Amino acid sequence: MPEATALVYTRAVVREIVPETPDTMTFAFELEDGRGTGDFRPGQFNMLYVYGVGEVPISIASSHSERSVKHTIRSVGTVTTLISRLKVGDVVGLRGPFGASWPLEDAYGKELMIVAGGLGLAPLRPVILEALASAHRFKGVKVLYGARTPKDLLYKYEHAGWSGREGAELLVTVDRAEEGWSKNVGVVTTLFRQVDVLAEEAVAFVCGPEVMMKFTLQELLRRRVPQDNIFVSLERHMSCGVGTCGHCQMGPVFICKDGPVFAYPRVKRFFAREGV
Amino acid sequence: MQYTVGREAVSRLISNLRSLGYTVVGPKLADDAVCLTEITKFEDLAAGVVDVQSPGRYRVGGSSPFIFSAVNGPHSAKRFLHPGRVPMVRLKEDQGGLKTESVFQADRKFAFLGLRPCDLKAIEVLDRALIMAQYEDPVYTPLRRESIMIVVNCGRAGENCFCASMGTGPKAEDGYDLAITELPDNILVDVADGQMRLMDGIEMKPAQPCELRQELDLMQKVCGDMRKKIDRENPSDFMYEGLESPVWDEVAQRCLSCGNCTMVCPTCFCNTLQDVTDLKDGSVTRVRLWDSCLSRNFTYGVGGNPRLDRKARYRQFVMHKFAYWPDQFKLYGCVGCGRCITWCPVGIDISDTVNRVLKPQGDRRPLPEVVKVA
Repeated sequence: MPEATALVYTRAVVREIVPETPDTMTFAFELEDGRGTGDFRPGQFNMLYVYGVGEVPISIASSHSERSVKHTIRSVGTVTTLISRLKVGDVVGLRGPFGASWPLEDAYGKELMIVAGGLGLAPLRPVILEALASAHRFKGVKVLYGARTPKDLLYKYEHAGWSGREGAELLVTVDRAEEGWSKNVGVVTTLFRQVDVLAEEAVAFVCGPEVMMKFTLQELLRRRVPQDNIFVSLERHMSCGVGTCGHCQMGPVFICKDGPVFAYPRVKRFFAREGV
Repeated sequence: MQYTVGREAVSRLISNLRSLGYTVVGPKLADDAVCLTEITKFEDLAAGVVDVQSPGRYRVGGSSPFIFSAVNGPHSAKRFLHPGRVPMVRLKEDQGGLKTESVFQADRKFAFLGLRPCDLKAIEVLDRALIMAQYEDPVYTPLRRESIMIVVNCGRAGENCFCASMGTGPKAEDGYDLAITELPDNILVDVADGQMRLMDGIEMKPAQPCELRQELDLMQKVCGDMRKKIDRENPSDFMYEGLESPVWDEVAQRCLSCGNCTMVCPTCFCNTLQDVTDLKDGSVTRVRLWDSCLSRNFTYGVGGNPRLDRKARYRQFVMHKFAYWPDQFKLYGCVGCGRCITWCPVGIDISDTVNRVLKPQGDRRPLPEVVKVA
């Protein structure tokens, strides 16, 4: 049965602000309608509305094991810049969740490869937390994460917990190192040299800038990870969030309602293709 | 069941619809075009007015003995069921919080009189995008459900029509409340089940075989008269293969990216939300406006703009109608009404573009001359 309307805003009160990088922060929201993290699945997104200005689609960065719904937001446009100026206690409008989530169950019994570039780590953070909480279900959980510089790394305060456990591994790289950086330097695909991929036994979740995803997919396919096991999260301008405004189309798919998480074969023809 | 009625039945039909509480929308002459607008009496109809259309050109002139004599003008039912500007919700800041109220009310029910079969199909196309979704569109759905569709089968092919190729006309197959065919001596009416109430007070005779024969002949004549067509059946698959055809570049050389095609298209549903602030009480109304994939800002995003050049945007418009739409909604997005051809300021012909793309190597014939204003 279709739901009544997608244009219902909930008041979301900022309860905590965690600075991540010079231009990115993680906001923890309390929703006035009483919904909590369990109502938002990893990979889905919300539309965040700044009063009188406009709204933006932002992916869910919180896991259901946490108390508040979180969004990690980089200030790049009008709306996100205004969000970055919010203080604890301020309110935004929130509607959602929209879209498809990461199919974590598809990776049960397999090796979960999470490959993130830059802000692409945000929609993958809840997957990492949930996978680590049930690590015994997987043949290992590997996180490959690349950022521009060490200053641009998100969730640094959590990284130790992501690699400390049995079967879990976090590999980090930066494009440009700084003094004191002892880890890998190079794009995220250079991290593949440091890991064994279980090929047919691997399931990969990939999110990041288009060019990063393009080369990551080449690497995964070269290592014989089956196409059906590769999932990507895509991004486009959106206005409605439910497939009726038309903005987010890429070939025959609506990123908002068919995605934003797609099995690679579904978007293969149009993925990283110019002008579609 | 089909009946014959006299010409005067149309007048009675209008008053029947009005007394049943419908806002009757029909073809009326306005601004030198046959527009769809509210009509209250028979005399409002652009009866006998004939339109002359060609790529990039529309004129009214001539006269005809028929009531529904003009084919499609610039408007379609989209203008009423999915309006170009709708206030959706009102938000108010309230003690640091946010209060929302829905402001759209479906306060009218429409009876569309003289809808062409292609436009009736266009409504079915919109249904799939706006009703058969996870969320029913809060504007389109109630308006559409309350509407009465009175379709008029086409007795004349417009110069830019290609409905026969798209399987959407010139005769409506289903989905109407009444279907009218104008014959030289009388009018054939097909009354859908349960809609006899619309015919109250109208003298009807069961249609005779010779009259049904006349209708069939007329429809065949219209099909034969139709000059434009799509050269291949099931063009969708072939269109995908034509994604990199040189034809897109050639046509984009002429495209002005003005978006007229998407505005007049009866199935283009793209829209955007805009905030309108009330200076008096500080409230904000989120207003929905038609948008267009021909607009450069349509795909503007933080990660870059995927359709920066005009070729990409024009290609999106055509590929959506002929390739993506069937994948998304199991129907073509184009109904062959010809409006985008008529109202394109440089006369770009979508049927010509598609036919060129459908050729394996692209079609290297020179493009038709750019239209000159008469």
